Amino acid sequence: MLAYLARRLILAVLTTWAVSVLAYVVIQLPPGDYISSYIAQMSASGSFVSQQEAEALRQQYGLDKPIWVQYMRWMGMVMQGNFGMALEWHRPVSEVIGDRLWLTMAVSGAAILLTWLLALPIGIYSAVRQYSVGDYVATFIGFIGLAVPSFMLALVLMYLGFTLFGMNIGGLFSDEMAQAPWSWTKAWDLIKHLPLPAVILGLGGTAQLIRIMRANLLDELRKPYVVTARARGLSEWRVILKYPVRVALNPFASTVGYLLPYVVSGSIIVSLVLSLPTVGPLLLRALVAQDMFLAGTIVLLLGLMTVIGTLISDLLLMWIDPRIRLEGRK
Amino acid sequence: MDRPEDPAGGQEIAEREEERISVATQWQLMWWRFRRHRLAMIGTAVVLLFYAAVVFADFLAYADPGASEAQRSLLPPQRIHLFQDGRLAPYVYGLTGKRDPMTFKRVYTPDPEKKIPVRFFARGFEYRFLGVFLTDRHLIGLEGARAEEGLFVLGTDEQGRDLWSRLMYGTRTSLTIGLLGVAMSLVLGVVLGGISGLYGGLLDTVIQRIIEILRSIPTIPLWMGLAAALPNDWTVMQVYFAITLIISLVGWTELARVVRGRFLSLREEDFVMAAELCGSSRTRIIVSHLIPSFLSHIIAATTLAIPAMIISETSLSFLGLGLRPPAISWGVLLQQAQNIQALAISPWLLSASVPVIIVILALNFMGDGLRDAADPYGQ
Amino acid sequence: MATKPTRREFLRDAALAAGGTALAGALPAATASAQGAKAPEAKIGAQLIGKLEGPELVLDATKWPKKFAEAPMLAEMVKAGKLPPVEKRVPDEPMVVKPLHSIGRYGGTWRRGFTGPGDGENGNRIVSTDKILFWDYTGNKVMPCVAKEWKQSDDGKSVTIHLRKGMKWSDGAPFTANDFMFWYEEVYLNKDLVPTPHPDFMANGKSGSIRKVDDFTVVFEFQDPNFLFVDILAGSTAIGGGQATQAQAGRGMGAYMPAHYIKQFLPKFSSKEEVEKKAKAAGFDSWVSYIKSRWDWALNPELPVLTPWKTVTPINTPAWVLERNPYYMGVDTAGNQLPYIDRISMTLAENLEVLNLRAIAGQYDLQERHTALAKLPVFLENRAKVGYDVRLDPALNGSDATLQTNQAYEADPEIAKWLHTSDFRRALSMGIDRDQLNETFWVGVGTSGSVAPAESLPYSPGPEWRKKWSTLDVKQANALLDKIGLGKKDGEGYRLRTDGKGRLRLELQTSAGAFVPHTQIAEMIKEQWKKIGVQADVKEMERSLFFTRAASNEHQIALWANDGSEVLFLFPRHALPLDPVQALLGTPIARWFASNGAQGKGPKDPRMISALEMYRSANGKKTQERYKVAQEIWKILVDEQYSIGTVGLSPATMGVRIVSNKLGNIPARQTNAQHARTPCSSHPATFFYKA
Repeated sequence: MLAYLARRLILAVLTTWAVSVLAYVVIQLPPGDYISSYIAQMSASGSFVSQQEAEALRQQYGLDKPIWVQYMRWMGMVMQGNFGMALEWHRPVSEVIGDRLWLTMAVSGAAILLTWLLALPIGIYSAVRQYSVGDYVATFIGFIGLAVPSFMLALVLMYLGFTLFGMNIGGLFSDEMAQAPWSWTKAWDLIKHLPLPAVILGLGGTAQLIRIMRANLLDELRKPYVVTARARGLSEWRVILKYPVRVALNPFASTVGYLLPYVVSGSIIVSLVLSLPTVGPLLLRALVAQDMFLAGTIVLLLGLMTVIGTLISDLLLMWIDPRIRLEGRK
Repeated sequence: MDRPEDPAGGQEIAEREEERISVATQWQLMWWRFRRHRLAMIGTAVVLLFYAAVVFADFLAYADPGASEAQRSLLPPQRIHLFQDGRLAPYVYGLTGKRDPMTFKRVYTPDPEKKIPVRFFARGFEYRFLGVFLTDRHLIGLEGARAEEGLFVLGTDEQGRDLWSRLMYGTRTSLTIGLLGVAMSLVLGVVLGGISGLYGGLLDTVIQRIIEILRSIPTIPLWMGLAAALPNDWTVMQVYFAITLIISLVGWTELARVVRGRFLSLREEDFVMAAELCGSSRTRIIVSHLIPSFLSHIIAATTLAIPAMIISETSLSFLGLGLRPPAISWGVLLQQAQNIQALAISPWLLSASVPVIIVILALNFMGDGLRDAADPYGQ
Repeated sequence: MATKPTRREFLRDAALAAGGTALAGALPAATASAQGAKAPEAKIGAQLIGKLEGPELVLDATKWPKKFAEAPMLAEMVKAGKLPPVEKRVPDEPMVVKPLHSIGRYGGTWRRGFTGPGDGENGNRIVSTDKILFWDYTGNKVMPCVAKEWKQSDDGKSVTIHLRKGMKWSDGAPFTANDFMFWYEEVYLNKDLVPTPHPDFMANGKSGSIRKVDDFTVVFEFQDPNFLFVDILAGSTAIGGGQATQAQAGRGMGAYMPAHYIKQFLPKFSSKEEVEKKAKAAGFDSWVSYIKSRWDWALNPELPVLTPWKTVTPINTPAWVLERNPYYMGVDTAGNQLPYIDRISMTLAENLEVLNLRAIAGQYDLQERHTALAKLPVFLENRAKVGYDVRLDPALNGSDATLQTNQAYEADPEIAKWLHTSDFRRALSMGIDRDQLNETFWVGVGTSGSVAPAESLPYSPGPEWRKKWSTLDVKQANALLDKIGLGKKDGEGYRLRTDGKGRLRLELQTSAGAFVPHTQIAEMIKEQWKKIGVQADVKEMERSLFFTRAASNEHQIALWANDGSEVLFLFPRHALPLDPVQALLGTPIARWFASNGAQGKGPKDPRMISALEMYRSANGKKTQERYKVAQEIWKILVDEQYSIGTVGLSPATMGVRIVSNKLGNIPARQTNAQHARTPCSSHPATFFYKA
């Protein structure tokens, strides 16, 4: 078991490093750099940035060094917990990202939670009452979630919210709470606003999970031990829930590892549409403005969060599936 | 899907059936199992219909997708009247449009005096069918008037361009990107997954780790970064291929995993060992024995990967990072509908979302059916 | 609109509407400088365009109020001993503003939307009454502002500015001539902060200087006559644009700075190590980047300012909040210290759609920035439901989407030849169906025509220049193109190059335009040019790449707005290639002009040379003569079509004003122009909440 754990940890570290390199390379790919963006912005609003000023700025920000030097410098800073200055915002990156990262995780977490809460019972129901009307309806709804692009859903729901209910459903907080410091009221406000984005994000993964749950449970239900249990007189629900479901949950836990990146990705686009104060809109701006510190840090942190999430799901798997625990002892 | 219960006392029938099954080829078996999956059959039919639309896009479109005209801007979908004096003679009314000075919306009034007949296989704008045959026939058109000026099945966009025709071209672009992207993913997946599964050892471990790493990275930021990196002065075609490449770079991991899994399990199979003992070369083993046995799985996995490609392209274009005007794709069309005035005043601009949903559903059903059919342990 | 109206109903309604708009259209024509010399035809949207009006300054000192009053929130602080009484805070010689409609009430928070740290102009433009001189509400007449009076010497070589006695910075420190000298000597002349002198502070290539006469008098001096300088002080320029705006976003301009505060960040007043240490402690790389963030009013709430409101929560947070400046120099005619409104709260909108959606939902009280003309129908639909009104303020520049031909283009000799041929450009211009563009992208509210400024301005060459070469005439365009030698066409009707290399293709470069969708406009133009046989390739690119390419002289035709050019001498870059910072008409030419021939490459076109020479002579000419010079320049520019205009004089740029019904003293129409710092010429300090 320890060997397994160690392997996963090493992999996690490797993955994070790979993410950082990828992030850095990708952000540096477009021609030009932050200063050329800045100059363009200044020119567009009628300001004067001379060649000399531009060079001076470049030196200031260290943009005149070769790319691998910049990368090492950046990694060095990151190790010390200094994420650099967000060039567009004139504030430390950590301040700009601030709450947003946690909010991203909150939204993603809520989406996954919702996915589980929906997929589990629906999956079980579908398997047990196979080919019933309920089964087909559930499958259908699941597929809708799969097929409708999340941003489409977000857009239409946001508009409907406005025209039908006269409320602005974008955002994660009501106006008054948005600037307020953290408190229980604010947390409750957040929870009230979470369902909509969570549903939009979670619908896609729900279909997948329903199908997996259904297929696995079906397989299990046919096994001899189930027949035995039934013959022995255990109530129907006990028969299903005690063993088959637990076994069927196995792949469930392992898919969380891959569900997390999917949901985090999805949250970026949905955040853009719904104007959620998460990392998504910030990232898009940073990429367009080539704000390297900000964009790089966001991608790095997103990757890190995902890796951690995967690790947690691996631990979960270990807990659920005794085989893995035992395997390690060999 | 379950095999139907044996009818009571059908011993003989069952025996004949068993015989048929035992001599049927692998493909026939697949087909029979697939056929029973009703949703999959419907899905396949829909998919084939859509790809037919890809080929016939120019024919199905009746208006030049680039023909803009301010006086036709934001026309709502038009009603085609089917019956005239009791006979089946489809026609549309001529329309006059004006901007309401109070509400600033464009208002179109049909002129009941002006009935324009709708014809099938009518003449319209010129195009080259399959890039070769010059023709001007379209599925429908108007008699005595240009289709661009009178026929608006799904309405028009802000620049007065017919939405149905643009949708046809958008379908062509989006579906081909989907196919191309998947093809590239397939190549990458089969090659890398095959190497991984067949040779094992260090190569396997390295490739496995790479796959794990790639799968752990949230894809959208990566795509955004890559797409934002594309030089903005590339032509539409170049951007198109670059986007396809970017999307396929992430999709291959799933296919590789499936291929590797298949190779691993098949390696131990008796028939492979038998072939090895007979002295067949590695290549022969791979080509004539291994590949046919997992081809069905690959097809299933590939089919299920296409929807992801389509959604990726749509999402990227929607963000403004993928295809851009003047290219026409579902993503571009949706991007042009992603604003308040579209939602509030001209919602027909969102009609591009309908084919997206239908195709994805259809592909999923089809892929599901294929996967169930290919799985030898299914019922 | 539940049911479609019958034809008869519709025609009747249209007739009524037309009659109504004609009536409404006649009204603004009655006021002199509002809409033009003759009554305009009934134009769509006329009912949303009101009469041009605005508050006026009371310049006669005898009419100034003797007693003053203040906002309740300040009165409380005075009682608590935190602020001196209002008589001590307002200058002995205040700026007295006569509110437009009535004396206002104190209180309220003005809700607005902004788009991020780059959107400084959103707040800058509201507080621009810290400019030395300013304009009246028509945008035509120079008025005092921070300066109480000014005088230009007869030879034009100097402008004397008299400051207001008793005027104080927002932290109570006195505002004197020393603050001008500090800026000039410690900032402007400091090569670390301002590497090269600014053209706005030069005459004939020679730098100007500032001299202190006494505590309340400074003189701006030049070696050569510079009659334009009064306009420069009044306009939105590096020298005259006000400390808040011109020191924002890393610039160092504005002609004055709070010496007592900025001192601590300069090495001269402590030591280089000291300031470097302070910078590093705050997370900055060097003292230069640190000081630039400190004198930025939007980033630094502690910076003393002269503006009516000052920042309390900086611009790089989700809410940019401004609060009243207790030492503001403005009062109304009853002696109430301005501003009326306590606070301005701008919330961050992640993108423009969200901002507009919030405006529609009534979450903003007064918003004219980032509101899109294309969404006008939706704004109008929701008015009554939510309690706001919509006003349209047409701008004064000729073209919101201008095709700037690169007059220095060289890369492709064939294309270069045609770009430099007048008849080619004229033909391109006549191949554009501007009414189509107007209807599609400006909801019909713009004015089709050339790049010439509005007829109401003294710079205008005359109404006939609106349409010259700028109406749709496919026949004449084709004839011109045939005449100049492009008569040969290929199978699809496109003209061929004369060097045998196939089809003539022009590259049209666009960027995601801020206020008007440039790329889609270019697409439509491309379709239209099919009729004259010219193929255009539209290339959209990100803004920085757009300007980089222009700066390296790679572009053929670039699409951009030409706002600001209506006041030619204050912001000429979109009319003539003479500012190397941004010269879509040809960066090498701009370099040549700016360096007096030392760098870059001069134009060969004699009329371009003539226009540039005329421009150079303008500094030394008095106002009336300058107007004539401008008119002559515009005549050349329109006749030569170096810049092909499409649709302008429109409210597309900051002209769609959403106004809450709760606000008072709001003008029916305000001057929409950069030099007028819209909405500042309407004195937002006099806006108030009615209840």
